[in-house]
Amino acid sequence: MSEASNHPAKLVLYVAGETPKSLAAIRNLEKICSEHLGGKYTVEVIDLKKQPQLAREHGIVAIPTLVKELPVPIRKIIGDLSDTQKVLVHLSVEE
Amino acid sequence: MTVVSLVSALSRDELEARLYEAEETLRAIREGEIDAVVIKGGATEQVFTLEGGGHSYRTFMEAMDIGAAAFDADGQLLYANQALCKLLDRPAGELSGQALLGVLDAVNQTTFRRLLTQALKERQSAEIHLRIGDTDRSFLLTGAPIDFGVVNGVAITFTDISEREQTAAARESERLARSVLASANEAVIVCDRAGIVTHINAAAERICAETPVGKQFEQAIELTFADAAELMTGADIVAMAAGGTPVQGLEAAVTTSSTDVTDVLISAAPLIVSGDRTQGCVVTLINLSQRKAAERRQALLMGELDHRVKNTLAMVLAISARTASHERTIEDFQKSFSGRIQALAATHTLLSNASWENLQIKDVLSVELAPYATLSSGRISMEGLDIPVDSKTAVSLGLVFHELTTNAVKYGALSTRSGKLSVRRIGLVEDGALLIEWEESGGPLVTPPTSSGFGQTLISRSLGSGSNGGTRLEFRPTGVLCQISIPKYGHFHT
Repeated sequence: MSEASNHPAKLVLYVAGETPKSLAAIRNLEKICSEHLGGKYTVEVIDLKKQPQLAREHGIVAIPTLVKELPVPIRKIIGDLSDTQKVLVHLSVEE
Repeated sequence: MTVVSLVSALSRDELEARLYEAEETLRAIREGEIDAVVIKGGATEQVFTLEGGGHSYRTFMEAMDIGAAAFDADGQLLYANQALCKLLDRPAGELSGQALLGVLDAVNQTTFRRLLTQALKERQSAEIHLRIGDTDRSFLLTGAPIDFGVVNGVAITFTDISEREQTAAARESERLARSVLASANEAVIVCDRAGIVTHINAAAERICAETPVGKQFEQAIELTFADAAELMTGADIVAMAAGGTPVQGLEAAVTTSSTDVTDVLISAAPLIVSGDRTQGCVVTLINLSQRKAAERRQALLMGELDHRVKNTLAMVLAISARTASHERTIEDFQKSFSGRIQALAATHTLLSNASWENLQIKDVLSVELAPYATLSSGRISMEGLDIPVDSKTAVSLGLVFHELTTNAVKYGALSTRSGKLSVRRIGLVEDGALLIEWEESGGPLVTPPTSSGFGQTLISRSLGSGSNGGTRLEFRPTGVLCQISIPKYGHFHT
C-alpha cells in the first residue's frame, strides 16, 4: 500500500442521529478499526440529521453508509457494517 | 443531461461502481441494514428515519415518570430517558453506549446482561444494587421485547425500590431489637431523653410498678442506693446516661411487690440510634438478691463461727484447768481431757453436718453412746427424744451425756453385761422447761462418791441452774438417776 504512506487514509461514516442502525454502525466500525486496521485510518462521523446538506458530497442515499475517501478510488459500504469480512474486503481492494 | 449523454460521460469503471452502489443500497434496504434515507427535496436534503411508528417510543419514554431505557438486540443502549438520567444522577445524554454498564459493578453487570438477553424473548425482572453519590440504591428492572421498526430490542424500566427495602430492613431491625430486648435475662428498661420509660422487657416488668411505660423512671421503679441513699436517685442515673455518661455497676435495693428481687446491680448506657445524638438511655438491672442473701447469711455465719470458736476455746481452757485440778496423774488427765474434748468435737461435727440447725437430743445422745451401742444392744433404750435443740444446748448436752456415759462405762450400768440404761422424755415442767431422765439399772451396787469430781460439776452446771434449767444427779444404789432440765429457749418442743 505505497499510496497509503503518501496520503492519509480516511473513512467517513454517515449516520442519522441515534437510530439503532447508526449506533450499530459506529460500534461495528470502532470494533473493526481497533481489531483489524490498527489505526491506519482516520475516521470522521457525520450526523446527517444535523447537517443533511453534507449528504451531497458523496451522494449518500441510505444511512448508515461508510465512505472510504482516501486512498482513491472512493468506495461506499452501505449498511450497519455488521459483516466484518465484507468491510475488510472493500477496504483492502486497493492493497 | 439525458441517460445516454450521462452514460457516455462516465467511464466504464465509474458506471460499474454506480451500479454496484445502487445494488448495494437495495440489498441493504431489503436486509434491514439501514434505518434512514436521504431525500432531496428541491435545493436541500432531508433525512427520514425508517423507524416507522417506533420512533415515537422516545417521545413516549420521555413522558414517563419512571426511568426507562431502550437497548438493541446486541445490548447496546439506544436511548435513556430523562427520568433514568436523574435517577442515576447523570447529566441528560451522558448515558450512552457503555456508560450505563459502567456504573454497575461486576456482579450487577452480569445480572443486567442476563436480563437483556432474557428480555429479548419475554418479560423479565431483576434487581440491581448500585451506589449513587453517598447512598446505596436498589432498583427493580423490568425488561420486555420491543419492536423499533427495523430492529428488535429490549425496553427496560428502572423502579427505585431502595426506600421499600430500607423500610423493610428497618422493620426487620426493629423486630430483631425487640426480640433481643425480650430475650434478655436481665431486666432492661429504655428511657427517652426526658427520663420517661419507653420500652421494657418481661424481666423488668416483674420489678417495676404497674404499667411503667410512660412513667418517669423513678416512678416506674423504686431504688435505694445503700452507699449514697441521700445523694443519688434513679432519676440521676438516667439523667447521666441520657446525657452521654455511662453508669456501671451500682448496687441498689429495690422496693417491689416481687419477693424474689430485693437487690439489683444497675448499669445505664446512652442510647444512640443514629449519628452522635443521644436518644435516651438503656438501663439494665441484674438481680443480686440471691447473692446478697448469701452474703448476708455468710456474714451471719462468720459472726456466729467467731462467737462459737471463742466460746469453745474458753470452754476448752476451763475443761483443761478443771480436769487438771481433779486428776492425780498425767495419764488420768490425758484420758479425761481427751474424752471431754472428743465429746465436744463429736457434738460440733453433728452441728456442722446439720448446718448448726435442727439437731435433735436423740442425735447428741446417739453419738456419745455410739461406741457402746453395739455391745450393749438391747440394753440401751431411748424414748421421745426426737426434740430439736439449739446449738448451745446441743454442746452442753453433749458434755453432760459424755460425763454420764463415761461414769456408766467406768462404774455404772454399762460396766457390766446385765446393766441397762434408759433415757426418756418426762415432759414439760414449769416455765416451759423440758425434763428428760437418764436412769441406770441392773449394774453394780452404787455408792455415792466421797468427793465431787469435775465430771459431776460439769453435769450439774452445764445447763445452768435454777428453775429454768439444770440437772439433778442421784447416786441410787440401783443405779445413777439424772434428771436434765432444758430451759424453754434451748429446745423447740411443741
